[in-house]
Amino acid sequence: MKAPPLGAFAAPNGEPHMPGPIQRLPRPMRTFAPGEEVDYVVVGVGAGGGVLTQRLARAGFRVIAFDAGPFWDTERDWVSDEQGAHDLYWNEMRITGGDHPLAFGANNSGKGVGGSTVHWASFTPRLHPSDFRIHSNDGVGVDWPIAYDDLRPYYELIERELPVAGPAYYPWGDPHNYPYAPHPLGGVGDALVRGCTNLGIGVVAGGPVAILSGSRADRPHCIYRGFCIQGCKVGAKASTLITHVPDAIANGAEIRANCMVGRIELGVDGRARGVTYFDPAGRERFQPAKAVVVAGYSIETPRLLLNSACSGFENGLANSSDCVGRYLMAQAGNVVLGRFEQPVRMYKAPPAHALTEAFYETDPRRDFARGFAIQTVGPLPIAFAKQMMTAKGAWGWGLRQVMMDYNHWAAFGFLGELLPNAANRVQLAEERDRHGLPVAKITFRLFDNDKKLIAFGKQKTIDVMGAAGAQEVVQEARYAHLVGAARMGSDPRTSVVDGFGRTHDIDNLFVCDGSIMPTQGSANPGLTIMALAARCADYLIAQGASIFTSSRRDTQAPPVRRDLSPPDTAGHGMPRLRSWRSTAPSR
Amino acid sequence: MAGHDSGLNEDGDRAATQQIEPPFAPPTARLERNFALADRDIREGRFQRWLALIAGASSALSGLEVTYEHYRGGYSRRIMYTPLVLSSALAASGVAAFVSPRAAKTLLPFVSVMTLADCGIGFYFHVRGIARKPGGWRLPITNMVMGPPVFAPLLFGTSAYLGLIASFLRRSDSPGNGALPLPTHSAHWAHAFVHGHEPIDWRQDLREGRFGGQMALAAAISAALSGFEAWYSHYKNNFRYGVQWTPVVIAPLMSVTALVATRSVRVAHAGLPIVSALAVANGSIGFAYHVRGVLRRPGGARKLVYNIIYGPPIFAPLLFAASGFFGLLASLLRRRRQ
Amino acid sequence: MTMLPRTIEMRPVDPQTGAPVGPLAQPGYYPDFHTLDQQSYWDAKTRAVVIDRVDNVPPIRFFNGQQARTLTAICDRILPQDDRDEAHRIPIVPQIDRRLFEDIGDGYRYEGMPPDPEAFTLGIEAIEQIAQAMHGRDFASLGPPDQEHILRSLHDGTPGAAHDIWLRLPVERFWTLLVTDCVSAYYAHPYAWDEIGFGGPAYPRAYMRLENGEPEPWESEEQRYAWNPPRWSVSGAFEPVGGKEEQPASPSQGGMH
Repeated sequence: MKAPPLGAFAAPNGEPHMPGPIQRLPRPMRTFAPGEEVDYVVVGVGAGGGVLTQRLARAGFRVIAFDAGPFWDTERDWVSDEQGAHDLYWNEMRITGGDHPLAFGANNSGKGVGGSTVHWASFTPRLHPSDFRIHSNDGVGVDWPIAYDDLRPYYELIERELPVAGPAYYPWGDPHNYPYAPHPLGGVGDALVRGCTNLGIGVVAGGPVAILSGSRADRPHCIYRGFCIQGCKVGAKASTLITHVPDAIANGAEIRANCMVGRIELGVDGRARGVTYFDPAGRERFQPAKAVVVAGYSIETPRLLLNSACSGFENGLANSSDCVGRYLMAQAGNVVLGRFEQPVRMYKAPPAHALTEAFYETDPRRDFARGFAIQTVGPLPIAFAKQMMTAKGAWGWGLRQVMMDYNHWAAFGFLGELLPNAANRVQLAEERDRHGLPVAKITFRLFDNDKKLIAFGKQKTIDVMGAAGAQEVVQEARYAHLVGAARMGSDPRTSVVDGFGRTHDIDNLFVCDGSIMPTQGSANPGLTIMALAARCADYLIAQGASIFTSSRRDTQAPPVRRDLSPPDTAGHGMPRLRSWRSTAPSR
Repeated sequence: MAGHDSGLNEDGDRAATQQIEPPFAPPTARLERNFALADRDIREGRFQRWLALIAGASSALSGLEVTYEHYRGGYSRRIMYTPLVLSSALAASGVAAFVSPRAAKTLLPFVSVMTLADCGIGFYFHVRGIARKPGGWRLPITNMVMGPPVFAPLLFGTSAYLGLIASFLRRSDSPGNGALPLPTHSAHWAHAFVHGHEPIDWRQDLREGRFGGQMALAAAISAALSGFEAWYSHYKNNFRYGVQWTPVVIAPLMSVTALVATRSVRVAHAGLPIVSALAVANGSIGFAYHVRGVLRRPGGARKLVYNIIYGPPIFAPLLFAASGFFGLLASLLRRRRQ
Repeated sequence: MTMLPRTIEMRPVDPQTGAPVGPLAQPGYYPDFHTLDQQSYWDAKTRAVVIDRVDNVPPIRFFNGQQARTLTAICDRILPQDDRDEAHRIPIVPQIDRRLFEDIGDGYRYEGMPPDPEAFTLGIEAIEQIAQAMHGRDFASLGPPDQEHILRSLHDGTPGAAHDIWLRLPVERFWTLLVTDCVSAYYAHPYAWDEIGFGGPAYPRAYMRLENGEPEPWESEEQRYAWNPPRWSVSGAFEPVGGKEEQPASPSQGGMH
């Protein structure tokens, strides 16, 4: 049987723009007139910008959200092919250096509506309560200006909005349950569960991942095809493109795709008055706004702030602390690969589907602070070949030979917390992009605690792979998940934004993405970025018009707006069980 | 009507039953006697209590299965809770009907009909769910295997069907042989149709246990559905173990035999019990294998809940065994009068 | 070892019999598995992209004739295809050429590395210089063992000549770039998926046998055969790129989290 009975699957027709096989965008999208002042301009429609835009629009604000990349029509634009997914990633130039330079490309930020959430593997663990106080607890890094309990209601909201599939009892950090059931395991998850269980290490199977295990409204459930990080054509994996942007449009937000914001413009009063951007044809245009929110990723956010330097802010906007671009963090992301006698076929099932956070917290018996997680990954052939190139030094006939064993290998990702350091930073390079804007130059190196943590965690991951039954285990060094570079803090001398994302220097300029994270834990940051964005939105909504005119800084936490979730959030999935952790309500 | 007041009749009949049983009988003789009585009760449809209990128990079993199957689906729609509620209600009604004749005539048929309706709704949503998966019904095998199990709602209906039949039956202690039976309970809805007269129709057949044919048909359908489920879930597993073929072979055999048994008394009395017993045995062995399979999964008993949910479905072989049990029952029952 | 390139056996060998393996239409352990047979089950966009990759080999536009000849010889050793028949060889250089000609980047460049087009031009030039310095001939006309030894020196970070170029082009970074581009072209091709038993595109039809490495109904079971690289080959050994280091500073970049 070579073709389905009704012939090959044809291209969709009729629908002008499809964000999924059965999902439809609200039409028409509102468009603001050229030069018409809006309440908010949001720069970047990714994890942070997508959630923020949706909430601001739902609360009745006039919002334009810019993205440098396209507004994806997933049925027509995306392919079920590793090489063909190249355009999902931020492919514009960045210069990377330092003792341990980071690799970019497919590794991190996205370009297009949905940002990196279109190609994340969508592991969505929460941070632990201890992550917010690592300086107080362990004397390393810095404390957050907010506590876990400030973020917890937003974790709960976002876990329901995406929604997140995971175990009925998640034992680490603040124990909790998930609204959707865990996913079935693939071969890699089997190996992780077997390895951990054999060593007596706790492990959870089937999540937490923002992938539907049961269909919800206009999104089908996962079909286990394994192309998560090539863009989920199924619409099962959550991305703000399909979870929050449609609702933003339904509530009157304009998404201005293929528009690269080049500068934030200040007025004579020292307040942001809008942004200068390059329209799809490359023409420079100005968009006035009463307030500006930057949500462009830990590289492009500091780059935009630095590129917006002007009289009075010669070192870049909001950079009186000299912290813009500093304290950039990546997580150690070593990949440990094991060869098994029996075939594994790790290309099946989502790469993200089982993990352990048993080593997450600081252990006084170890010679380093903080910890790490071990997760499943599922490299497709090209990624696997690259790993064999570095992990085994394979080339030539050896590469051909080991690649013929592709189906026998399983891969784990070690995810370790690296501590913030001022020397790890984003600066501007001499080189310019196609718009004439200086590109970012990233400098990164590991410090003592980082190296000890990596050495320990790498070995532990290798042990688990061995305990799972692998005959041969190799590993390659990698990094993942960039955050920081515009960190939040209470002290304007050592941080860029306050606990709500408002820059210390400019009253109506906000940052709302992973760059505001002062430390990173060893949890994948996507969920935390979204939770921070939802909290930032509640703050902006509670403050109302005073954001646009006043310089008064209200540090009162806003009420949690549970009524701003996208439709189809309520009435789907399992009820939330009470938090196992006994804490006072956040307010 | 007044003559059929249930309380008096029950008392009288109980006395009659006690007379049949000789006092001080040796244990073996008593056992034989009990067996003969049970046999007579079944043949004459006097086993409402036990069939109600069986319906309740099999409903509890399907309830457990649907609980975790719908958990896998994240209870993504509120309607996915209805089979939970109804299976619990049916299980409770089964027990109630075992205890109380009134419940057997009111509660049990009501809940059974509700459940059957829910099965129809569930079947619709499962068919629709497959249609909404990428590729929809154009990829029938992949999407039936990986989507909502399309026949599971119908299989779920088997216990409701049993419950409905039980509501028509007589109890082993109901009025004597030969009398034209009316619905024993004055509130039974069948009164609306019989108007006090007792035509010789299907209801009477049911009450007198003359529904061997129907039971065989139920066995045939449930074996076919169960066999189909076994086929696709073992197919999903690539028939890793040779023994996985056995239900796939036995189920159609049983289904065909039961189907023929609806026409042929000989097959109903000779072939059907053998094949049915085979199905019961196979389902029981399958249950053991599935339990073993769950424990041998990564994490084993330490990930028990997860492994029950995603390992071999441990209740599925029991449901297959249940269809075998229906076949056995069918072979014992009398048939519709000609 | 350096003599008579035409007479040496290019093909891998069966370790038992010593007989050469191939040339085959489809090397690998899944002889009955052909992803392209499944194309009707792919979505239209993916089908168009993959078929285009197979049918339309891009012309050489970036490299000049000599560069293309040298790079072809290099790629023939980095991903040797001597066990494949002529009709089923996977074009690599045209894909690299297209990427450089159309200026398709991966979004970053290491500090101290020239832009990719320049890196390739310089790297090919340096390899030519090594060939001339060591053998007095151009790289493409050397015998495969000599070619492998030159490439092996790049892999080890100890190139024998062209040191002025390697000052501008860190050899380990160039090696990573070169091999990355080769594998990105080779393992993006359906013939390579058939070779390694990868299922290929999977939408709208996906997978149902997730565990225990079970093949889908349309995939096939592994049928292993033993084979060794040609006896003269040094590329079959696995050694770390550029020697051992605690946390090597050259991570590859397949996105995975």
